[in-house]
Parts: sequence; structure tokens; C-alpha cells
Amino acid sequence: MSSVISARNLSKRYGKRTAVDGIDFQIPAGRIVGLIGPNGSGKTTTLKAALGLIPFDGELSVLGLDPRTQRDQLMQDVCFIADVAILPRWLKVKDAIDFVAGVHPRFSRDKAERYLAATKLRPDMKVKEMSKGMIVQLHLALVMAIDAKLLVLDEPTLGLDIIYRKQFYQNLLEDYFDEHKTIVITTHQVEEVEHILTDLMFIRDGKIVLAASMEEIGERYIEVMVSQDKLSAANALQPIDRRTVFGKAVMLFDAGPGGASRQQLAALGETRNPSVADLFVATMKGSYA
Amino acid sequence: MNTPTNTMKWLLHREFWEHKGSMFWAPVIVAALLITLIGGSVFYGVAQHGLATRITINGHVVHTGTLAAAADHLRPAIAKVASGLYLGAAAPLFGILTVVVFFYCLGALYDERRDRSILFWKSLPVSDPMTVLSKVLTAVCVAPMITIALGAAASLILLLVGCAVMALYGINMFGVVLGTPELYLAPLRLLALLPVYVVWALPTIGWLLLVSSWARTKPFLWAVGVPLVALMLVNWVNVVLSRVAGTPLGFAHTMSGIVARMLGGVVPGIWFTFPGVVQGGVPQGPEGLDVGGVFTQSWMSLATSDALLGVIAGAAMIYGAMRMRRWRDEG
Repeated sequence: MSSVISARNLSKRYGKRTAVDGIDFQIPAGRIVGLIGPNGSGKTTTLKAALGLIPFDGELSVLGLDPRTQRDQLMQDVCFIADVAILPRWLKVKDAIDFVAGVHPRFSRDKAERYLAATKLRPDMKVKEMSKGMIVQLHLALVMAIDAKLLVLDEPTLGLDIIYRKQFYQNLLEDYFDEHKTIVITTHQVEEVEHILTDLMFIRDGKIVLAASMEEIGERYIEVMVSQDKLSAANALQPIDRRTVFGKAVMLFDAGPGGASRQQLAALGETRNPSVADLFVATMKGSYA
Repeated sequence: MNTPTNTMKWLLHREFWEHKGSMFWAPVIVAALLITLIGGSVFYGVAQHGLATRITINGHVVHTGTLAAAADHLRPAIAKVASGLYLGAAAPLFGILTVVVFFYCLGALYDERRDRSILFWKSLPVSDPMTVLSKVLTAVCVAPMITIALGAAASLILLLVGCAVMALYGINMFGVVLGTPELYLAPLRLLALLPVYVVWALPTIGWLLLVSSWARTKPFLWAVGVPLVALMLVNWVNVVLSRVAGTPLGFAHTMSGIVARMLGGVVPGIWFTFPGVVQGGVPQGPEGLDVGGVFTQSWMSLATSDALLGVIAGAAMIYGAMRMRRWRDEG
């Protein structure tokens, strides 16, 4: 299979407001893609369209299926965590496992129980007795025990403390992900996911402004600590972002085709790869203004 | 393991887990109260005043001595009492059933949207029609069957309490009562009336589920308010028209019938109150309620066009609720 999700001219309008504006993208199998954008940029809408939760315009194919008409079939191979701590309050841990085991053909009870054994959760516990972090642990245990081809996570760690957040991504990477699986994550906390992502998609005002693999981004974007005497030369190369750290100018350059070359930039000062967060801030400039 | 039957089984489990309190514990507690109150007062009454030395059965005065001797002769009368008691003791439970089913349907597709847990349920390979169907089945089959079972059990216990009291005074009724076929037929009759209940409950259940799948807030207000306001409007137009033009609106009467069926269908036996559905209303025998008559009349009510129209309307609204659950965007 070439791509897990492929969108052509995907649009979604809510009344007069355009949430997703004719986007095209491909997500190949075996990748961990970060879909990153500010609030209201259309990332959740895009995911909802892919999960068949909302009607949309344009073409969208997920695992070769149309989420609008073939959702029931699609959900055999797709799993998602669409929001934090949304398990119903009356649900008991053991009932949750029984239920998912009963309705999902690709669920492994052993896996779920093994994962839960490492937590404080007990079979007779109800969701309403749990902390937010524990609810997410239960949800993740259920989802990780499902051998799905595509896993979609929409802000999966929102509002959790750092221990749960770190643990969440660690579990995902160590116990779940392999080359046959694809994970799509949206999040605000870019710093926490950047080291696990293989691909990046920035979305802004319903449009995709950047879609590339992490290697491509490493090659293309370069951050330079410009020495004081080379400031004007640096400015002439049209940096996409400037900031000042401890009195030193830090500039971000797009070294892609038509931009400055690596050698030129190296001459300006110390170079390094920018963090995804810095790249995000530079790309999204203006959308918060 | 992932067959539709199996999925349905787990969906029904799911509904029961969520509503164990209202569907199981509430009727259990009421049944226990009934047994304590009725059974207790029988015991207390007999202990305080002793057993009446004569009892009136069918207008004949019978002395207890004779009663003990004439148990065989009284078999049919006891059978009537036994079967009557079944329906009688279960009545408060059916009252609870009505309330439970009404509010269950109203919340069935609304609560999961309010607490957003719908996003979890929809992440599993369970289709929307299947989910909605499981809720319909819970309302029209699971909840009434629990009530029938508990009602039969409570009645049986009360009957045995009565027999035990009699036995204390040397009148052994156990053999006679337990040998009465009515004793075993009564709960089966109730169970056999379930399909009739399903048919007449369907329009109400469809309407409540539709509102439940659609309302953003306050489903109760929408479910009850919309039909009542519509009814008031029609009545008002009717009054105005008959004053001004002299001809009343033809469908004003039909409208109140529709509203009654939209909201009242979940009341067991409601079909006896719908005009033109059952000839002559609730059948009365010489000794009160004619149980056999109730049974036949109820099944006969299904042959009316009202019943058919209700099923069609109910099914259409349930289909609407399925579509709504499939496409409603929770934002």
C-alpha cells in the first residue's frame, strides 16, 4: 500500500467559515506524522474527516476506503483517541476490557492486561474514581492492545502532568509502533513529540504550509548564531525569522532551492538544526497577531 | 468472535452496566419494599387479630373450618386470586418501568454526546445502526423483561407468605396454590404481552431517541415541549377557526392522539386508552379484571391501522436517530 491517508482538494466549511481549505497531502505507511497548527487552524477538522466523523468536500481516502461511506469497515483497522479523558464515568476497568475484547477482532486482552498491570489501575475501579492521568492510561492500554494499521491521536496528553506525558509517548514508541503501523498526532506541545516524529505537517488557516520528513527539514532549515559583524550580510540572505538570545542574533534560514547555501550560512557564524518549536513559531508568524 | 450477534450482546451488556441502578436496583428495592409492606402487614394483621373465622368468597360466606375442608371445591376461585395477585403486585414495578424507559431513551444518545464519550464508542468497530438498535432493544425488551421477572418473583414470594400465614392456622394451601396452573401461566402471559408493548411503545421510543440524538441541551424540554406547544397551537387555531368561520379544524382531535402516542407509548397497557383501538376498553369479568380478556384484546389491538402507523413512524424516527448519530458533529 502506497499511502495510508491521501487527500485531494479536501475542504470543510462550517457555514461561512472555511475550516479546511482545499488541502492535498499524502501520509505513507510506517510513519509517525505530527499535524501541527494553532487553535482553529483546521487540524482537528482534518482528522475528523479522515475518521469519518463529519461530512466534507473533495477526495479523501484512508487505507483505500472512503470514510464517508465505508466507515464501519474502516474502523476495523483504524483506532483513535480523539480527546483526553472521555471514557464514560460509569465504566469499570474490567468491563472496558471485556467490551473492547467482545467487539474488536484485533484486540489482544493479554496486551491490555499486561499494560494495566504496570499501572495503579485495578479491575474493579470505575472511571469516576480515577485521576485524569489514570483515565488516559486506561484509554491508551485499550488502544495499544488493538493491532490497528492507523492510529490517530488528537491532543492525547492535553492537561496531563509531565510524568504521564513522557510515559505516554514512551509507551507508544516502545510497545506499539512498528513499520506496519502509522500514527498521526496533533498537539500543542511540539517539544514533546518532535523526537518521535518522522514527518511534519504544519497547518495554518485551513491550509498546509509545510509538509516534509524530519530529514528533509534537517537539511533545509538552518539556524545561525550570527556574529555581530556579519549582521547586514545575514539580513541580505533573507532569514525567515530573527530573534535575540543573550544579545546575539539568531536567524533562521530556509536553505532549500532558491535560498541561501550551507556554505554561505556557515560563514555567518555557528550553525545548527532548529527545533520544531522554533520552526513552528517562525512559520506561524502573523497567525496569532 | 466479531459477529453482529456477539457485538449486540456486548452492546446490551454495555447498556446494562450503565443503567444497572435504574433498570435493576430500583425495581429490586421497590419489590423488596412491596414484600416487606404487604407481607409484613398480612403477618401483623393476622398476629394481632387472628385469622377471620369466616371469609366471603364470591358472595358466599365460608367458615375457615369449611375452607380448610373445601379447598378442592375452591380451586378455581383461588386460581383467580393467584393470577390477579400476580398482576396486582407487579403494578408498581410497571409504573417504575415507564419512568425508567422514558428517561433512559431521552438520555440514550444525549449523555454520550454531553460527556463526549461518544468519541470513544465511535473509535470501535461498531456501526451506528447497531448501537442505536441496542438502545431500542434495551428499552423495549431488556428493561421490561427484568421487570416481569422481578414482578413474578415478588408475587410468588407474597403468595408463599400468604400461604405460610394460613398454614400457621392449620390451613394448608400450599398444595392447592402451587398446583394451580394460573400461577405459572400469569408470568408467561405477561411475557407474551411483550410484543404488544413493543409495538405501542415504538413511536414514543423513536421520538425520544430522535430528540436524544439531536438536542444540544435540555432533551426533556424539547421532547415534551415541542409536542405540547404544537398541540396548544393547533387547539388555539381550532378555537379561532370555529369562532370565525364556524368550522372547527379537522385534525385537532387527531393531533392530541398523536401527542399521546408520542409521549405515552411506554406506559404498559396504554393501548386500552387509545380511542377506537380496543373495543369496550379494559375487559372486566365478574370477579374484576378479566385476565384472559386483557390478553386477547391486547393482541387484537395490533390488527388496527393505528398500530401499523405507529410502527412505521417509530421505525422512521429510529432511522433518523441512527443517521443523526452517524453525522452529528460534536465540535
